Amino acid sequence: MPWSRRQVLAAGGVLVTAPSFLACAPKQAQPQALGSALLPNDPFLSWFGIDPATLRTVMAELTSRGADHADLYFQHTRSTSLRLEDGIIGEASARVEQGVGLRCVVGDQVGYAFTEDLSLPAMLQAARTAAAIATGASRPPPETFASTGPGDRYSLTLPWEEVGIAQRLPLLSRCEELVRSKEAAVSKVSVSWSDSDERVLIADSEGRISLDRRPMSRLWVSLVAEREGVSQSHGSNLAGRHGLEWYDEARLQQVCDEAIARTMVLFEARRPPAGELPVVLAAGASGILLHEAIGHGLEADFNRKGTSIYSDKLNQPIAPDFVTIVDDGTQPGERGALNVDDEGNPTERTVLVQGGVLRSYLHDRISAAHYGVPSTGSGRRESYKHPVLPRMRSTYMENGPHSREEIIASVKHGIIAETFTNGQVQIGAGDYTFYIKNGWLIEDGKVTAPIKDVNIIGNGPESLRRVTMAANDSKLDSGGWTCGKDGQGVPVSQGMPTVLVSAMTVGGTRG
Amino acid sequence: MMALGALALEAATGAGASGAFAGVGRTRQVDLAVRGEALETVSESTSQSLVLEVWVDGRYATTRTTDLRPDEVARLAREAVALARALQPDPSRAIPDPSLFAGRAELDLELADASIPALSHADREALCRAASAPILGQAGLISTTSACSDGEGLSVQLSSNGFSGSHRRTWLWLSSEVTLQDAAGRPEGWMSAGGPHRSQLPAPAEIGAEALKRARDRLGSRKGPSGRTTLVVEARVAGQILSRLLSPANGANVQQGRSFWAGRLDQPAVSPALVVRDEPLLARMPGSRLFDGEGIRAATLPLIEGGALRNLYLDTTYARRLGMAPTTGSASNRVVQPGSRDLAALVAGVEEGVLVSSWLGGNSDPTSGDFSLGMRGNLIRKGQLGEPVSEMNVTGNLLALFAGLAEVGSDPWPWGSTRCPSLVFEGVDTSGA
Repeated sequence: MPWSRRQVLAAGGVLVTAPSFLACAPKQAQPQALGSALLPNDPFLSWFGIDPATLRTVMAELTSRGADHADLYFQHTRSTSLRLEDGIIGEASARVEQGVGLRCVVGDQVGYAFTEDLSLPAMLQAARTAAAIATGASRPPPETFASTGPGDRYSLTLPWEEVGIAQRLPLLSRCEELVRSKEAAVSKVSVSWSDSDERVLIADSEGRISLDRRPMSRLWVSLVAEREGVSQSHGSNLAGRHGLEWYDEARLQQVCDEAIARTMVLFEARRPPAGELPVVLAAGASGILLHEAIGHGLEADFNRKGTSIYSDKLNQPIAPDFVTIVDDGTQPGERGALNVDDEGNPTERTVLVQGGVLRSYLHDRISAAHYGVPSTGSGRRESYKHPVLPRMRSTYMENGPHSREEIIASVKHGIIAETFTNGQVQIGAGDYTFYIKNGWLIEDGKVTAPIKDVNIIGNGPESLRRVTMAANDSKLDSGGWTCGKDGQGVPVSQGMPTVLVSAMTVGGTRG
Repeated sequence: MMALGALALEAATGAGASGAFAGVGRTRQVDLAVRGEALETVSESTSQSLVLEVWVDGRYATTRTTDLRPDEVARLAREAVALARALQPDPSRAIPDPSLFAGRAELDLELADASIPALSHADREALCRAASAPILGQAGLISTTSACSDGEGLSVQLSSNGFSGSHRRTWLWLSSEVTLQDAAGRPEGWMSAGGPHRSQLPAPAEIGAEALKRARDRLGSRKGPSGRTTLVVEARVAGQILSRLLSPANGANVQQGRSFWAGRLDQPAVSPALVVRDEPLLARMPGSRLFDGEGIRAATLPLIEGGALRNLYLDTTYARRLGMAPTTGSASNRVVQPGSRDLAALVAGVEEGVLVSSWLGGNSDPTSGDFSLGMRGNLIRKGQLGEPVSEMNVTGNLLALFAGLAEVGSDPWPWGSTRCPSLVFEGVDTSGA
């Protein structure tokens, strides 16, 4: 069981597991319970087959040996996936995952347990297991619970649960048809589809209940093309907290056109020369640079423990003054969007770097208490099976003062990076990588030959200092990115304007 | 659990499935971490799931649930059949042939150790503290965490055409991670070891000491030079590059045109120094099994011999599409035939090169074999280890890389399901300063 580094992978990637790192903090001010009193017939409670009295009974067990904080995270997820290969939609899968995670926080310690059996005896047993971390006097459970209803950052007119399987099938067939009609060199088309409908109920020891219903969907078109006995493969995908209607003809055309263009250009692509080069990051998916070079390093658990290279850099200049970097949970429909985080705290737009100065880390409840600041609503978990960690949501750089044309024209000999597959960072050293699947050489200020399969490696703080230009064309990528940390994968978004980093180590060849 | 699986099969065939395959699993896992001298996290869980595959009039679907109430299982079976009926017929989809179930080895693979479920939290905490003992108080220490992860799992599988089998497994892993301070950053080191039996765990202090050594080895590392050179890849990370070579060697990739192995079966492609077999019947190995996920009896599968790929991983579906016989759809334990010299001797034999002690990011293209990976390690000069290097990439093509495999070490990494020794590659392009 090898330990993982922090990494981001395109959806469908595999995450390796690692022991969880979760610590806690001294007692903190308890947030005031807001919202309306929870009614016994609340639809979310009915969904999980529980009522306020049951919650109170389980919470009493969870805090029976004392707790600074405790919470119950109920989750029910129904997901559907489909796959088209060789012209046949021949594989369908439906999955139901349901359970409750129970957490007891005492001083610097966290006890965690989960059960997939939502009967009272099973939940009480799990509560006793999590509570065993504590050794003090019992803390009475809240007299009442007050709920905050689901927000509206991703409400669907037709929830995925109500969409029939036959309504999904034409999306896959249409993509195959589009690709076949547009490019004769394509020898194989595979189209993958997945959607999910997730209900979440979070009840905590302060009497707060947070409810959320979180949709997610993804369409992935993969191609193999052949030319003169050589094969190349690539693809494109669309993803977000969207419903069926979002996947309209224009978007299907877009994803198929991208998949074709990205694949066909590989026949002409070569490797750049090895060594240090200026790297232009194209607007959009290049946000992977932010995710790896700074985003993980600003997750406050690493900083609280002193293991991040950014641990001593708060309120210091770390980038040129035109650089502002944001992590945002409030963008409707984005993969990283949340109405509330997985501790029930409201999400927000967190400015990490303002005018080149490091202004904030990303906090969950525990790290916020450690630093004496409000939570940034960044407490996330993969599912009820996992404890909360501070995580990114949608990470992007705001517009800079330059134009894309100015930036490319300024480069004598370098590369421009356009599409990516994955990245990784080593938190302490600050070294990070990302893998370019498509890019171009820049020669004498002009975009020339295509390049492919290049790993870029750099050091986070050093690369930020080397951001010499940023354009006014910032945009979010529409692809399905998944971030991995300590064995947990969560959906994220990322974005970027066109940016020039004056020198990075480019994985090229000597030939 | 067998009864639950039988219920699912009965419900599926009752709903109209011509064939069905059910798998029921239950796992209990405990994770405990000690950071510095303080207990940090205790996590304990029991999870359960049922997976049901159905074949209906030449159509195929799967369903999975964590809700194992009999009513829910019966509902799931009906849903699976309805799901399949909504799809198009696929002639390659068929329940595995029962002849592939026959002849299962009658061996005790020793995959379960009764002492592991009996561990107490105090036992786990003691293991973690013993691992951290060599680290605490050391100069430059910023943080150290040692973690213990153990569990027990039981899985049963049965099919409507006669398959029935089960596996019981235990595992115990102990890990340490260290962060030190140096002028440029906060280098980390880690070590993790374990297996199905408690007796496989090395002395905890060895794990902590190795993590500390690994972090110290990174102190003062700098970007190395760009050039074409010899790479010595340490056993503990050599399995990762081997996995990139073998991951496209399966029916799905080959049939879908996404494998550089297509058309190369039995053709010389890599160095004859590389001999790899898939070995499912080894005792006390994490990947060992008597049958695979389709119920196919487990047997040794030669992968690379005589410089050529000898077999593909082939499940029923892709074997039918390729007109070949199924082997197995997934890897068990991959075992590389060791050479005769240890890591020190391999390094001593290199005039100029880089010892790779860890990878960082990167990827490879299964269709072309092109790869580019981040790496860290030490320079090698005249057979001696030199200064630590980082922020470097190695770039090339996997077939060309393994064609340039000059030597295999005698030191297979003993933890995990890949037994790969250190590997020496010649003529590799690196990029750094």
